[in-house]
Amino acid sequence: MEIHDRVAGEVTIVQLDGNLDTNTAPDAQAHFDGLADGGHTLIVVDFGTLNYISSAGLRVLLATAKKLKGMGGQLRMFGLNDTVHEVFEISGFSTIFSVFATEAEALEGF
Amino acid sequence: MIPEESPFRARWDLLIAILVVVTGLVIPFQVAFVRGVGVWGSILVYGLDLFFLLDIRFNSRTTFREHGLEVRDPKRIARRYRRGMLPWDLLSTVPFDLLLLPWAHLALGGLPVVLLLRLLRLGRVIRLQVILRRWQRSRSTNTGYVRITRLLMVVFLLVHWVACGWFAIAVVEGLSADSWVARAGLADLGIGQQYLRSVYWSFVTTTTVGYGDIVPIGTLETAFAIVVMVVGASMYALIIGSVASLVSSIDSSKTAFWNRVEGVNQYLRGRDLPPDLTEQIQNYYDYIWDRYRGVSAPALLKDLPEPIRLEVLFHLTKELIEKVPLFRHTGPALRNALLMALEPQVHVPGSYVVREGERANGIYFVSRGTLEITAGPQSTSHGTLEPGAYFGDLSLLLGERRTASVRALSYSDVFLLPAREFDRLKSEYEEFKEVLKVISSEKTEKMAELVIEGVIL
Repeated sequence: MEIHDRVAGEVTIVQLDGNLDTNTAPDAQAHFDGLADGGHTLIVVDFGTLNYISSAGLRVLLATAKKLKGMGGQLRMFGLNDTVHEVFEISGFSTIFSVFATEAEALEGF
Repeated sequence: MIPEESPFRARWDLLIAILVVVTGLVIPFQVAFVRGVGVWGSILVYGLDLFFLLDIRFNSRTTFREHGLEVRDPKRIARRYRRGMLPWDLLSTVPFDLLLLPWAHLALGGLPVVLLLRLLRLGRVIRLQVILRRWQRSRSTNTGYVRITRLLMVVFLLVHWVACGWFAIAVVEGLSADSWVARAGLADLGIGQQYLRSVYWSFVTTTTVGYGDIVPIGTLETAFAIVVMVVGASMYALIIGSVASLVSSIDSSKTAFWNRVEGVNQYLRGRDLPPDLTEQIQNYYDYIWDRYRGVSAPALLKDLPEPIRLEVLFHLTKELIEKVPLFRHTGPALRNALLMALEPQVHVPGSYVVREGERANGIYFVSRGTLEITAGPQSTSHGTLEPGAYFGDLSLLLGERRTASVRALSYSDVFLLPAREFDRLKSEYEEFKEVLKVISSEKTEKMAELVIEGVIL
């Protein structure tokens, strides 16, 4: 999996490319931790190129969301494919994460 | 019109049943032992007649069931009664003997004709059959008790009749020195003594004990004794058979259940199971009996047509419906589909509902009891699940193996929505996903914590 960061004002947009599973989760966790520790507490995750997310991936996102919240920041996401969207909706995580349809919507109101 | 299953009809039936037995006791006793048309005896008999005349009136207005439907048309009710029981009821109720009262002294073989004519009233026992059938059908009475009542009535009436008949034989023989009454030295004793000895002979003979202290000598006595022996032997068989089947049928569900448990126990006994497992099995059955009276709901429900099954399920799972958030947000159609799809499970303390490493098989809803989430080799606790909680959704949605186990801490009732049913409902009911979304938001915080801890259920 590849991770690309873009900056839009105070917000860091993290694009996840590939699969977020047990193998790639530690890298992703380290990446998010690095951003948070560097003071980037407003993060938007771009799911547009993410194929698959496993429980390990969920764990990374939940832990990051919790951490950012504790620091007064926020984790938002957009571009979820149908499968991921369904998992988020049915499991109820869409209420924790603030899920948006497009990047513009996600960036609005930060 | 009187509904067949009305409380009034039930109470009246009970009264009539008692009066039939009284009739069956009084009339033969008057014929054999009293042998006189006394005032009080007559008042009693005609007083009883009034009740039975009233009964005829009620019977001709009592609804009946045909092809499962209650017939309420008065004409059909009357016609059915006219063609069925009415002739019998009239014959056993109309006091024909009143016509002969002026000739009350007329006797046949020493027995007053008026009294002999009163024997027609014994035909009333037929009404018992109708009443008992009604009792047997009514839901509130245990058929076992109805059968016991019938058995007791048959036995006591029969013994009484045989006793009266046995004494009447002696009377017909003129209570001569050859009659059994004279030989037993009863001729000059009071009615009470005479009746007691007659009943004694009746019991000794019908139960096939046959001490032989009172024996038939004359032709009439011998013939009567033969008939009593034949009847007695049949009655004996009836009693033995009935009592045996009664004992088991009084609580047939209990017997069937514990027989099944005994079967399981016998199977396990020879297989050297660890004692605590055996005890767990025993506890499971105890609980099942305690909570469900041994009736396995799915088996029972399979027989029922779908609408009734839904009604029953709705009532059985009322507790669940009130507690599980899932049902609070579903419409009637989805709720029914869910009820039909859910599989009830019972877990004893210490037993595992799901285990770490298993593949998802569905979503579990807790309806009763407390369950604990444990994970890892040390079985580290990750909190408990109370009634209303559910689990199993995440591993199902993600298609992953569980990373934790759920163990019952107390006796627990859970309902499983199997994976295939979950998929079916999801595709058939658009509403289902929305409902899941709503209810999952109610438990997200706790679930998020669990996921962060690495617990996937």
